[in-house]
This record gives sequence, C-alpha cells and structure tokens, in this order.
Amino acid sequence: MISDEALMLEFQGGSRAAFDELFARYHKPLFGFFGRRLNNSARAEDLAQETFLAVIRAASRYEPRALVRTYLYGIALKLLAAERRKILTSSTSSQSAPEPETGGTPESVLWVRQAIEKLDAPEREILMLREYEQLSYSDIAELLRIPVNTVRSRLFRSRLALKGHLESQAKNNSALRPSAGQPRAERRGMQ
Amino acid sequence: MSTNRHPIEQEELMAYLDGELPADQATEALSHMELCPECQTLAADCRGVSEQLMAWEVESTDEVGIRPHINAALEERLQKRKPAKVSLPRLQNSVMTSRWVWAGAFALVCLAVGLTVMLSRNRNEDRSTAYPSMASIEQYLMPDRNAEIALARSAAPQSISSDAKILVLGWRGYETAREGKNGFVCLVERSWMSPFNSAEFWNPKVRVPGCFNAAAARSILPITMKRTEMVLAGLSKAQMIDRMKSEFDNKELPTPEPGAMCYMMSRAGHLSDAIGHYVPHLMFYFSLTDKSSWGADLPDSPVTMNPQFQGGPEPITEFVIPVGKWSDGTAAPAM
Repeated sequence: MISDEALMLEFQGGSRAAFDELFARYHKPLFGFFGRRLNNSARAEDLAQETFLAVIRAASRYEPRALVRTYLYGIALKLLAAERRKILTSSTSSQSAPEPETGGTPESVLWVRQAIEKLDAPEREILMLREYEQLSYSDIAELLRIPVNTVRSRLFRSRLALKGHLESQAKNNSALRPSAGQPRAERRGMQ
Repeated sequence: MSTNRHPIEQEELMAYLDGELPADQATEALSHMELCPECQTLAADCRGVSEQLMAWEVESTDEVGIRPHINAALEERLQKRKPAKVSLPRLQNSVMTSRWVWAGAFALVCLAVGLTVMLSRNRNEDRSTAYPSMASIEQYLMPDRNAEIALARSAAPQSISSDAKILVLGWRGYETAREGKNGFVCLVERSWMSPFNSAEFWNPKVRVPGCFNAAAARSILPITMKRTEMVLAGLSKAQMIDRMKSEFDNKELPTPEPGAMCYMMSRAGHLSDAIGHYVPHLMFYFSLTDKSSWGADLPDSPVTMNPQFQGGPEPITEFVIPVGKWSDGTAAPAM
C-alpha cells in the first residue's frame, strides 16, 4: 500500500488519483473527528470537506516533515476551533446553544458521551485524539504544542477519570433501573 | 503504586499498552505485568475504558463524494500544475534548427541527470549514516532473558504462544529458552532480517517479535538462523548475500512449505525507527511470485507485499495482512 506521505507528494506533483485516494482514506475519519466534537453530522460533513479544501490550497507548501495523518488533524483542529468560536458567538447573541443530536442514540453511547463531556477540555481533547484518531503521543504533543510527558500524564488522568465517570453512571443506572414492566421512556428521562 | 514493588510507573504501563514505550522498557513492562496482578488490573481497566469508548461510532452521512466546490478547487490546482503549451511553429522557424541549441539542450540534460544521480546518491548516504555498520553485539542482545521470552511470546495471542517453543538470541546465535508443544516457534528477530538495502539493517534498537507456525518454522526460520549466524560471524553484507544465494541454489535452504505463516501481533516490538511497532499483522510465505496473485498493494486491498526477501537474495515472497487486534486482545489502530 502506498504511504499517505507518498500520495501527498504525488498530489503535490499534480496527481488527481493520489488526492482521491487520500480522500478515500481520510474522509470518514475526519467526519468522525468533527462528528464527535460537534454532535452535528451536517456540520461534521461540511468541515470534513473543508479540511480537504485546505489541503488543496496549501498543497504547494506541504513538506513531508510530519505524517499526513497528523497534518490533516492539525488542519481539522484549526477548523474546529474556528467553528467553536462561531458557535459561541451565535449562542451568546441568541442566548441558546444548539442542542446536540441524540435521537436514536444507544444508551451506552450516551453514557460515553456524557462521561467524556465531564472531563476537563484539554484532557478530553488528548483522550479523544488518542482513542478515536489513534494518534501517537508525539503527534498529539506536536498538534497541541505541549510536551510529550504532559500528553502522557494528562491521558493517564483522563482515562482514570473517565473510568470513574462510567462506573458511577453504571451504578446510578442500576439504582434507577425500574422494575419489570415500567416504560423505558421514563428511565431515559430520569438520567 | 510503589516503584519499589513495581519497576514501572502506572503511566508507563499505560504507555506500554498504547505501544508508546521504547522496546527495552516495553519488554520490562511486559515481563513485570505477567507476574503482577495489580498491574494486570490496571491494564484491564485501561483496556476496558478504551473498549467502552469504541461504542461511540459516528455514522457517516450518505454523502461520501467530493463536493463540487472542492472538486472545482482541485481541478483548478491541477490545471495550474500542467506546463504551459508552447506554440510549435514559432519555435520551429528559427532556434530549434540551430545545432548550438541542441548541443546546449543536450548539455543541460546531462547536467540534470548528473545532478539527479548525485543527489539521489547523497540522499542514500544520508539515510544510511544513522546505522552505517554493525554495532557491538551487546547492543543487539537483550540483557534480561525473561524479558526476551515475554517479548517473543507477545507476537501471538496467548492461546498460541503459551505452548510455543521460545528462542532467545545469545552470543552464538539463537538458543532454545523454552520447549514447545504446539509446533509454533516464537522469537525476537533483529535488524538484519530487514532487506539488505534497508537503512536500518544495522539498527540495534530493532526488536521484531514473531511466532512462526510449524511449516514456517521448518522452511522460513532457517533463513533467520542463517542470517544471524553470518552476522555473528562478522560477514559483510556482500558476503552474506553471496552465501544466501549459494545456499538456496544448492538447496541447502528449503523453499517455503505450503501454509507457512507467522504471527506478528506484538504491540511491544520496534520494527524500525520509521514505523515503530507498526500494526498487528499476519505474514504468509511463498516461493517467489508476483504480488498480483494476491492482489497485493492494489487500491483498497488489505494485502501488501513485504519487500523483506523478494529475491534479494532469498527467493521468497511474503504477503502481509493487518489484523484488528494486538495479541493481548486490544484494538489496534487502523492502517
């Protein structure tokens, strides 16, 4: 399999096929990146596409110093920060933040989402970059501009904290679990 | 957790599980964890959290293609890359007929070719300078025999490696550390199992845990033994290549048996500086063949051809298929 870096250089040299292959490899992961952080699949798709637009525009400046994967998530993080600023501005002016999409989401996923939301923002980002984007410690350090040791210690803290959150959710859920025959909707509402 | 009882910190244990510890520390972590219930619990907790997180999958929308405005930007960029067309008649009418121009052009081409060759040669030299020659043998050996046994076992799931024969590298070559019962042989290969032209052929940090099935142990492992024997005897690369060629020509080394394969699912290995511990994978061996027979290296094919041997000089083709989990059962990163 041709490496991402070789594809990027081929694209830089004018290969459409190389770009298509990079799109095929990274469209879904980037959609997942934005989807988990914004809870809005339409915007996630927009921003995944915008990431590739940024790649096209910056192609002539690309240098194979970092992995393409890291390079793409670097762009994605910048787009995400801009999006969050936009959301913050609009929610301040309208006094209401958009509701995250939860319709039809399995309970186990809601628990995970809620547990992740309880983490401090910097720790949450490190955890997600590691667990979902599968970036190495050094890639995360480079992207977030923090030392590798900080990545490691924050990741450790966040995993322990997350374990605690998930366990307490499970405990609460079993305590609140209704007796047989009670409607499921009530259970969902009590969480 | 006290470091008096635990030679590694909790954070280091987590880093090991993430495949983020250097090979020597990883083997220390692995061998300690095998004996420490407290660390096993912590490892199980870390894995449990990761598994729970995996429940959150983000469903992609139906739209998966490139949007029109991005397509347009792409086309525009690719268009710019194309060289400008030159009007041929204008060129033909004067200068193209001049022999001095042709001579000049020829000289420029020669210069360009010369520069390209020179630069590529320099690049090769630069790449190879990190490990230009063999380091001292001590650097390739693992001082902790138990750590090497644990690392070798980590190549395959425990259900396979626990009954496998284990080899460890000593001063005189590989020696049996544990006898096996199931026909598998696990060991940690060193950098000289890379292609002979690899820049990391002498990288003393390389540790490649592998578990060969019985067919591969009979027909592929002898290559590892032979290369190791020659390295420890101090042969040059050229001498090793010649010796390997003649061993195969004289049928002193076997051809791959049907079904020969190897597990390489350790998260604690260091396959090279370039790819680190890589991804967990299985390897399948055949007599020299075309990679198209397995659809290797084609778009979206999960099969790749490893250039490890491929006639250079060993007449063996090796196909690699990544798998989704490390040998300890944890999920692996996507390729």
